[in-house]
Amino acid sequence: MAHSTTLEPTAAATPYSDAPRTGTWDGGNEPFKASYGKLMMWFFLLSDAFTFGAFLTAYGMIRHKHGVFTGTADKFFFSTAHWPIPEKVFNGFPGLHGLDLPLAFVALMTMILIFSSVTMVLAVEAGHRMDKADVQKWLLWTILFGAMFLSSQAWEWSHFIGGDEKGTLMADGSRMFGANLAANQYGPPLFADLFFFITGFHGTHVFSGVCLLVWCFIATTNGTFEKRGHYEMVEKIGLYWHFVDLVWVFVFTFFYLV
Amino acid sequence: MSAHATTEHAYVPGEIAKPNTGWIWKTFWVLVVITAVEFAIAFAMTSPDLRTFRNSIFIVLTILKAFFIVGEFMHLKHETKSLIWTILIPTSLLVWLVVALVTEGSSIGETLSHMFS
Repeated sequence: MAHSTTLEPTAAATPYSDAPRTGTWDGGNEPFKASYGKLMMWFFLLSDAFTFGAFLTAYGMIRHKHGVFTGTADKFFFSTAHWPIPEKVFNGFPGLHGLDLPLAFVALMTMILIFSSVTMVLAVEAGHRMDKADVQKWLLWTILFGAMFLSSQAWEWSHFIGGDEKGTLMADGSRMFGANLAANQYGPPLFADLFFFITGFHGTHVFSGVCLLVWCFIATTNGTFEKRGHYEMVEKIGLYWHFVDLVWVFVFTFFYLV
Repeated sequence: MSAHATTEHAYVPGEIAKPNTGWIWKTFWVLVVITAVEFAIAFAMTSPDLRTFRNSIFIVLTILKAFFIVGEFMHLKHETKSLIWTILIPTSLLVWLVVALVTEGSSIGETLSHMFS
């Protein structure tokens, strides 16, 4: 037989030849030029963005369904008829009882979280240089700031739940102080419900982030990443931590500013 | 694979490169300034007629902060184009969702308040 029926490697590989494909999406390489772990963290964060996006969207819709207080700020009063003005609700500061400091404490909380993001990036940068001591240092700072944020949020919650001395007269004649899931002194019941739900979900993410950071610190100290030859785990947890900061930036805008 | 597989280090063991952190602090100050501007606007622009305009500024500034956090701190600006688009396109759809449902909420509020008049 002049013509062979077995497949022979040819210079130009046809789609059905035995020559392995080497395109970007043909396997055996990293299409996004990021490692599997890093890529999956990005995809997880995208899904979490959808979750928080859904919460904030629901908040936006519910809030705009309620009436808006149309007078000037000095004439504002708490009522279930309109959504409260955030400056009138969040004006406490730990240790400064009785002083009217609108949004001061939440500004501090925002700065604490942004600081923690900075120290996180510094930890990642130290990891790129295989500088174990600096990684430990910056991880500890990030853990400290994260814990400070959680304590601050806990104080915010307790102050919100406790209420002030004046309270609000409710429709049935009773005076309501603070907040619970059924009613609150600041405005419509959904105001407190959404506050607890959204800041609670965010706080849970911060807490789990702190747990991850503590584990990462322990692993760094034990030399796990030195042995591995790279600190990519710090980078992946860093991505999660920055996402948590990012969510806070949005929650802060929607709850406290808008 | 030999029993004593050695890994090649790009650096001489014991020699650690100097930190390259200028861009980190620069981004930090940008975020601080934007936040300060947001607070200034929150306290200066209190007229009820300017509410929608004020809120739009907040949302624009927040998205600007998001670009800095995601682009620099999370390093997305320096990743491949396909990864950047993979993240940006779905999140921009989310932004549309928020705007759409806030408008929806206002419309529902309007309807409910006129329901029995």
